[in-house]
Amino acid sequence: MSLTNFVKRIRDIMRNDAGINGDAQRIEQIAWMLFLKVYGAKEQDWDVDEDNYQSIIPEECRWCNWAVDDKSGKAMTGEKLLNFVNNTLFPTLKNLYVTPETPIKKSIVRTTFEDANNYMKDGVLLRQIINVIDELDFGDYEESHAFGDIYESILRELQSAGSAGEFYTPRAVTEFMAKMIQPKIGERMADFACGTGGFIISWLKELATQIKSTDAQIEYDNSVYGIEKKQFPYMLCITNMLLHGLDVPKIFHDNSLLRDVLDYTEDDQFDVILMNPPYGGSEKSDVKNHFPADLASSETADLFMSVIMYRLKKNGRVAVILPDGFLFGTDNAKVSIKKKLLSDFNLHTVVRMPSSVFSPYTSITTNILFFDRAKPTTETWFYRLDIPEGYKHFSKTKPMKLEHFAPVIEWWNNRQEIKVEGFDKSRKYTVDQLSKDLGYNLDQCGYPHEEEEILDPLDLIQRYEEKRASLNDEIDRVLADIIDILGGAKQ
Amino acid sequence: MTPEELKISILQLAIQGKLVEQRPEEGTGEELYQQIHAENQRLIKAGTIKKDKPLPVITDDEKTFDIPEWWKWCRLGELGTLVRGITFPGTEKSREPLKGCIRCATTGSVQSSYNETADVFVPAKYIKNTMQWLENEDIMLSTANSKELVGKSCLWFGNDKMTFGGFLTVARFPDLLCRKYLYYAIQYLHKCGIFAKASTQTTNIANINNDILSKMLISLPPLAEQKRIVAKIEELLPCFDRYGQAWRKLEDFNKRFPTDIQKSILQMAIQGKLVEQRPEEGTGEELYRRIQAEKQRLIKAGTIKKEKLLPEITEDEKSFDIPESWKWVRLGDLLSVGGGKRLPIGSNLTTTQTKHIYIRVTDMQRNSVDMTDLHYITDDIYNRIRNYIITKNDLYIVIVGSTIGKVGSIPEQLNGMNLTENAARLTPFLVDKDYLLYTLKTEFLQRQFIDKTHQVGQPKLALMRLKTASVPIPPLAEQKRIVAKLEEILPQCEKLI
Repeated sequence: MSLTNFVKRIRDIMRNDAGINGDAQRIEQIAWMLFLKVYGAKEQDWDVDEDNYQSIIPEECRWCNWAVDDKSGKAMTGEKLLNFVNNTLFPTLKNLYVTPETPIKKSIVRTTFEDANNYMKDGVLLRQIINVIDELDFGDYEESHAFGDIYESILRELQSAGSAGEFYTPRAVTEFMAKMIQPKIGERMADFACGTGGFIISWLKELATQIKSTDAQIEYDNSVYGIEKKQFPYMLCITNMLLHGLDVPKIFHDNSLLRDVLDYTEDDQFDVILMNPPYGGSEKSDVKNHFPADLASSETADLFMSVIMYRLKKNGRVAVILPDGFLFGTDNAKVSIKKKLLSDFNLHTVVRMPSSVFSPYTSITTNILFFDRAKPTTETWFYRLDIPEGYKHFSKTKPMKLEHFAPVIEWWNNRQEIKVEGFDKSRKYTVDQLSKDLGYNLDQCGYPHEEEEILDPLDLIQRYEEKRASLNDEIDRVLADIIDILGGAKQ
Repeated sequence: MTPEELKISILQLAIQGKLVEQRPEEGTGEELYQQIHAENQRLIKAGTIKKDKPLPVITDDEKTFDIPEWWKWCRLGELGTLVRGITFPGTEKSREPLKGCIRCATTGSVQSSYNETADVFVPAKYIKNTMQWLENEDIMLSTANSKELVGKSCLWFGNDKMTFGGFLTVARFPDLLCRKYLYYAIQYLHKCGIFAKASTQTTNIANINNDILSKMLISLPPLAEQKRIVAKIEELLPCFDRYGQAWRKLEDFNKRFPTDIQKSILQMAIQGKLVEQRPEEGTGEELYRRIQAEKQRLIKAGTIKKEKLLPEITEDEKSFDIPESWKWVRLGDLLSVGGGKRLPIGSNLTTTQTKHIYIRVTDMQRNSVDMTDLHYITDDIYNRIRNYIITKNDLYIVIVGSTIGKVGSIPEQLNGMNLTENAARLTPFLVDKDYLLYTLKTEFLQRQFIDKTHQVGQPKLALMRLKTASVPIPPLAEQKRIVAKLEEILPQCEKLI
């Protein structure tokens, strides 16, 4: 069924429930029910495949037993349903017995429910919601990946961008990045801020074409790793993984920024990293203690770049989405990070994306950085992807599609410098140009009329603060040089 | 600190003897001064230079700052020769090197470094004095200029035969001195306003004659120290550039930011993101229907004319997502557009007060009408254009001239007054007037009015373009809440300016 209809129906029903105050709660409400529905569907498969499959969920709490309405008039509703959910279902699932030996596919039930809540106060309405959810058919592959769409359309209704600056990456972009990174069987990939698992799914899709043996299948299943800090996307990510046949999803409910980067060993490193880290997110300032002083920044995107650099295997490859602020920013932390990036890694390509790619959440301009750990950077190619013909900008009704990346893909293996109307569209820079001449300002081949875009106030303020910080730091650096030259001769 | 202030502070360090350390083996300023004096005496005896009137002794009052012990205060005229430029009739100069002509520097040739493109060519006969041939490392000063620029100087390098004009003076120093040091010292005198203060003013020109110039104080270190000071300054020059660039960029951002944030907030408002939607307030669709019904009623009553139906809004025109309860409409659906009227031919406005004010575009300021310089029309002019008025329920929009798109509301006192033909009158139907005003001010609407490709000659905003502009509307109660919010936030933004 049409997913936009799904959201509307849910919203219309929930609007009448006094317990749901605002979009954040409505979303949480949907999440745990969706999880149970999907998990139930999965369990049916496991039951068929395994002998003596035992669910970790007690019988009365399994979706198939309490939620499904067989139209015989016996399904729970009203007070009875509410009572069951609040006093039986939740306490049971929150307290499931789990040990380090419990298989992940069972323990995730508890981790998913740890922070979950039932907000609805009307049992009749709750029954209606359950029925809508039960209509979903998770045997359908397309429908399951479109979970990103559900979350996207729900997020759209959130007026605020969320305190962790969440951005969910459009499928066109995750697929493009997964394609260009060229997954191989036997490799392990990671996404340290995986959201609903978009990159992981795109990676698996690309990798699936290479499965030709059962060994390959096992490698495939073990090839992904994710960390997600927020409860709700974590829940959806797990659900997503289950729907894609990953029975043992290595997705952890954790904060990637809370481990000392200097503690990471080879075992913590990956062959491929694909991600879109949160920007402008708020973390407690002591998060910076986990990073070397010169790399410590208040900008979460910067911190994630450091995590990536410390968790990439030798000869590993990365594709990461970063905002313009990272490219043009020349405050001290960013200069240090970019210095390290260019000297220890090979930043070979930067693809600039038009501003409405993440519309409607935000209008900031973003960029995909491709680098590997094979050698230091000698030169970097920049390519600006322009808005396709016939589009003024991307929007909910006219979203970005994979085919819009065709010009980049064509250019990829036959790189030429291109100029359009006097502005650089594609150009190569040597590492010396980037470091000495441009002072690590990677904002090259940008969009010609960017000043005319009107950003949202929060994005505008963020960009202003970034530019101001960069310029202030530049001024400080010049003054430091001057003081140096004066040799402290001033009396 | 502006880049200029930075440079001045370094120059100041230089001439106060604080930029580099002392090296006793280099001697003292006094010794150097004696050497120069001795050499001058020798040249006078040999007849090479004229004996000048002795310059007054330097008093303590004149010494505006302390200098190191081994330095000496001198007057410029004691250290070198000052030569005023050649004079010639304006008709004799040309841009091209004609036969018998010599290249001649002008006021414009003196920039932060010598600028040869401002040179002209004059017949050689106007050079009356051999000293008026430029020599390598001469310092050219602009000694007749505006108060800000008088005393500006540059170094001239070269061997060619070249001269300079009468608005310039050359300061020529012997090899005993480091000419670049003197150049920086003279630069300092200009930048900190000493030349401007000492100049004599005639009509628009500030003048510094040789008398004034020769009396200027220069703080003198030994020669070797002069050279070390110059080397230090030149080491810092690239830093000044970098500083200047970063500083100017920052200034630009700071200047733009307040307007940018206001635009951003207005945009947020018309996208429905400023306040929350409340289902009990209804929808934009419902409001639209009520407006249509109201229009029908007015048409029947003969109050307004029936108009051609406006085309449906296309998907492309819906440039951004709006809340479900809002609706995309055309401006012409929400308001009626009327014109102002030009004065009948031959009639004039008067500043003598009458009952009838004529509102002009220059009066339209700050989204309202400025009442400090109103113009009026007589009764009989009024009678001829009485239908083209504007009321306090209307908004104005400028449709001609450099301020196309400027909008505002009409104060009480101007209710029913005449409107210039260069503005249109907008009467809203059932839409909050203030909300409409904010909407018209958004970049989104303004861009629809100002079509960049059609600006030829006198640009004009066609009334049709006004009516077909697309705009999203919320229910009436939400409009009022948006206005309240904007009135709370926008004044805060004003504080940033």
